[in-house]
Amino acid sequence: MIALSEISIPAVCPALGPPALTDGAIAVLNLGAQIDGLEGHGTSAEAATLIDLLILRGLTLGRISDYERAAQLADRLVHDAAADAAAYMARARTRAVFHRFSEALDDLDHADRISPQDTPAKQERAAILQALGRYDEAMATYEDVADRGGQFEQAGALAGLWADRGETDTAQRLYLEGLRTYRGVSPFPLALLDFQLGTMWMRHDRLDQARTCFDAAIRRVPAYAAAQGHLAEVEADLGEPEAAIARLYPLAASSDDPDYAAQLARILGEMGRNNEASGWCLLAANRYDELTAAHPEAFADHAAEFWLGVGNDTPKGLRFAEFNLRVRKTPRAYDLLARALDAKTAEATAARCFGGQ
Amino acid sequence: MSDHFSGPRALSEPAADITDVYAFPAPDSPDHLVLVLDVFGKSGPSAVFSDAVIYRFRIRPVEIAAMGPDAAFAPSQNEFTFDCTFDVPSGRTDSGRPLQQGRCLTPNKRTISFRTDDENGGADGSVQVFAGQRSDPFFLDVRMIEKTAATRKLAFKPKGSDTLYGTNILAIVLKFEWRKVLEGGPLFAVVCETLAAGKRPVRIERVGRPEIKNVTLSWKQFDQINRDLEIRDLYNSEDAFDLKPDYFDVYRARMNANLAFHDGLDGKIDWPFDQHGDHPLTKLLLADFLVVDASKPFAEATYFEIERSMLERRTHVTPGGRWLNQDFMDFLYTLYVNGGNGPPINDGVDAPIAWSSKAFPYLAPPNPAKASAA
Repeated sequence: MIALSEISIPAVCPALGPPALTDGAIAVLNLGAQIDGLEGHGTSAEAATLIDLLILRGLTLGRISDYERAAQLADRLVHDAAADAAAYMARARTRAVFHRFSEALDDLDHADRISPQDTPAKQERAAILQALGRYDEAMATYEDVADRGGQFEQAGALAGLWADRGETDTAQRLYLEGLRTYRGVSPFPLALLDFQLGTMWMRHDRLDQARTCFDAAIRRVPAYAAAQGHLAEVEADLGEPEAAIARLYPLAASSDDPDYAAQLARILGEMGRNNEASGWCLLAANRYDELTAAHPEAFADHAAEFWLGVGNDTPKGLRFAEFNLRVRKTPRAYDLLARALDAKTAEATAARCFGGQ
Repeated sequence: MSDHFSGPRALSEPAADITDVYAFPAPDSPDHLVLVLDVFGKSGPSAVFSDAVIYRFRIRPVEIAAMGPDAAFAPSQNEFTFDCTFDVPSGRTDSGRPLQQGRCLTPNKRTISFRTDDENGGADGSVQVFAGQRSDPFFLDVRMIEKTAATRKLAFKPKGSDTLYGTNILAIVLKFEWRKVLEGGPLFAVVCETLAAGKRPVRIERVGRPEIKNVTLSWKQFDQINRDLEIRDLYNSEDAFDLKPDYFDVYRARMNANLAFHDGLDGKIDWPFDQHGDHPLTKLLLADFLVVDASKPFAEATYFEIERSMLERRTHVTPGGRWLNQDFMDFLYTLYVNGGNGPPINDGVDAPIAWSSKAFPYLAPPNPAKASAA
């Protein structure tokens, strides 16, 4: 998925700042109330809003069904409002969520022909270029609309871009600027920003900083599933597997995203609780199979990680890693393929060793 | 829901998105004035007020400063405010909705506590407060309004489709004895605001008159000066009683352009621009507060009657302000398009799903979920 986790961020996560934010539980209640209120009727603008809200809920609560519903609505919206640039914009977002990047860019081209120079469309295009690893083009596109977007949105987007490029100092500075310029009361934008920062530190093995940031995201939105899941991963890596397991159980049991069950299986396996681990592993495996059949581009990378790890099927992991690289040629995609190839080589070596005995 | 989705920033916190403001003498008690602030249009059953937002009613005594073409109000510097705030929900109401405790700080610094969705609300002497989910009393056909702007022709059908049919809002209702709580009057200017709470509260949105930011200011295509500018967030951030001169001409130009567009929809000019190059309504509408005469008896279709009387150099006879179920879009389009010089314009939607009551808390109970889909 094109979760903001993939648009990483910077260093130290500052204490929660002075702006008053709506309590995270209220924010989630009201997000649901917005979605419920907009379902089933409304203008095309409201349909586009509904699609954005479903994506936001999918992102924060880890609900793939929300992404799928958003994609359905976007297809219908384009069908019903073919002359409306906003319809193509909405569909581009859902396609990007499912990593159908070239189709998403086609939609943005279409929107651009109907309504040229639209700032949100350009921001969307920049995010997709970034997800594709085309960082220079993404940067140029962000800069093209720098004067027309909000300060917070610009700082947050650029923080993610620089983080993806490994420029952590710049990303950190922009992250802080994002916090400083935020003028809203919704906790979601800041929680997403915290999460990006935490994800970046996690990738750099700066686990304490990552924990601080995920904690911050969870304080803002306690139900933020991806932040809970990543924090559990950090806790496990910091030698606190029981805390990680306690955090993952409810997510693995309730979410339709198999990542949580996969993480839980891995940690339980590392603790030698193999019987428990195998159940969660099976659950994750079945769900990855369903999701990679339905949305191969979106789940290739996570499925590859799973099969190369606790899923224990290196050839399958390699196939998904190769497919993922065809979808987008990012440094992370190359790293994943390299790991898959190493695993394959290791397996072959082991097989030869056993064969030689 | 005349002000719903009225600026990109408001979208990020639906519970701070003001949809409508109403002010009217209490139908059930002539000594009382009623103010209503609606937020969170099209809210689903789980909607609650934000604990990070101050819901503020600002009231100033106002004088009529000029009549005729230069008609204008002169609000006093003396201001009275009611601030309502809410806790994080704890438990559920009888209907299963999240239960919130709320507080209203009155102009005399007394605090009234209440529970959301309790129709009796909270009370303290001469002030009664209700907050909770109710049926949206506004009605309109948004698609035909958009089509009118897109095609530059009146697009209303004899039988329209109410965009808000069966939808709900979160409402705060204040009923108070105005002679005891306020000073001055009986003419008062009313503005409602949502503010981000904190040591220095920051205004998120403000609303006085209905359909200023949406119908009257939102269309960009008729504005030859700032065609690309989304001005509503800027407009929201301004003090309604003290518009800064920096951007006044931006608002003026947009409003002149959009009012001229509406005036031309019937193929004739009913509102010739004045010697300053302004539409005759621009100045009055940019005084973006509801003006209500608390001494007049309650009546239903009274919005802008005070302003019309000022333009026509006569004394107003109604309380002005705004009642919950006035057929506002018919009024607005008739005013903008022909100034009352032609046949009334009907948008094809003549009633809400449920009429408001003449007794506290006035707004009809919330519609059941999915009533709108039917």
